[in-house]
Amino acid sequence: MSQRAVDAVFQGLYLFTDLRAVLRETAPGHRLDEEQRVAVAQALEKVRKQADILEKELLQ
Amino acid sequence: MKCAGDIDTREVEELYINIDPIQAGGRLTPEAHKAVIAFADGYSVCDNCLKPFRLDYINKPPIAQFHRDVAEWLNMDQVRVVPGARRGFQAVASTMVEKGDPVILTALSHYTEFVSLEQSGGIIHEIPKDAENRITAENAAAKLDEVTKKFGRAPALLFVEHVDYQYGNIHEVKEIAKAAHQYDVPVLMNGAYSVGIMPVDGKVFGVDFVVGSGHKSMASPAPSGVLAANGEYAERVFRTTQVKGDVTGRTFGIKEVEMMGCTLMGAPVVGMMASFPAVKARVGHWDHEVANSNKVVDALLSIEGTTVESEYPRRHTLTRINTLGSFDKVAATHKKKGFFLSGSLKKKGVIGVIPGSTRVWKFNTYGLGDMQIDHLARTFVEVAEENGLSVS
Repeated sequence: MSQRAVDAVFQGLYLFTDLRAVLRETAPGHRLDEEQRVAVAQALEKVRKQADILEKELLQ
Repeated sequence: MKCAGDIDTREVEELYINIDPIQAGGRLTPEAHKAVIAFADGYSVCDNCLKPFRLDYINKPPIAQFHRDVAEWLNMDQVRVVPGARRGFQAVASTMVEKGDPVILTALSHYTEFVSLEQSGGIIHEIPKDAENRITAENAAAKLDEVTKKFGRAPALLFVEHVDYQYGNIHEVKEIAKAAHQYDVPVLMNGAYSVGIMPVDGKVFGVDFVVGSGHKSMASPAPSGVLAANGEYAERVFRTTQVKGDVTGRTFGIKEVEMMGCTLMGAPVVGMMASFPAVKARVGHWDHEVANSNKVVDALLSIEGTTVESEYPRRHTLTRINTLGSFDKVAATHKKKGFFLSGSLKKKGVIGVIPGSTRVWKFNTYGLGDMQIDHLARTFVEVAEENGLSVS
């Protein structure tokens, strides 16, 4: 059992959900203000970390 | 892009400003989306269902606390979650109305209110709307008097909408409840377009039942809703089963008859719970939502020939607009006929107006951000100008 892998999957989905919320808030133009740009950048960084965890837990 | 098999991924909310009149208040919060991801499996909330085995007793996830919180928030004695407002109407009608009983609805009641009373065999009488499309206490009192005299007894139940689905008008619930109680008639307030988007206090209104819609106004997945009740009426509508099997002798604990045991499970209930903190907070911003609604309505009214059929200035975000003298005139000669309006709006990132509608139609601005409101107001004016209509 890999609790870390399971947590990473959910954390990744939740982070993508936050990104989805930004798309909704800024539709239809998707022009982000500075605060939204920072939030998106942080979320993407965290998503990459979750992908790294999954790679390590499931493939290595 | 498909999400599974032949099912398209729904990207409407991510790509467009959606002003569909029934969808605005039901858009999920990010918190609800996350909860749905985690609890999408059928009996997911039942992992820790312990004795007495009833949904509103489950502590993990905190469904029991959610029930208490919603009751406090609505200022009602007891609350149950239900699969949509219609199941709330049905539970109350089934409890309060016997076949042949007179019952009162309004000229603006939703069809599910009618059907719930039809199921119970009630004889329906409607309170007429006034010239401003409002349900008034004066008309309610007259109907109560008329029906009581006709049947020699008071109606068994009165349904009244806080906000109706046709005009988005706000009605005299408090005064109507007072009139009904003079005849000892219990009152159900249909809060499908108010509970979850604007302040609602059941005791201030003086009603006996409050019904809300999760998927219409509480940022919740469908089907979901709440049924709240006070005092003796709560005891009646939430009565527990007394039935016993004649062969097996089985009984069924504290399952509630009208709730058919447990009601909302899985994604609908946890979605509703996850959105609840944001829902409670957003109700406090109702004035801003109404100001945004008026901003868009004013933009439409600046187009010559357009009138608003809802009360004006707007007190709600759902509005019925009449464009017979504007967009419908364009449609008469446009190569796309009535479809030009929805098509033009979509090209500019706005959807939710029924394709082909250019006469009388509804829209809802609830939940849009300020930038989106500006975009929407500007879009209506641009479409008018591009099609040769005068804008003041």
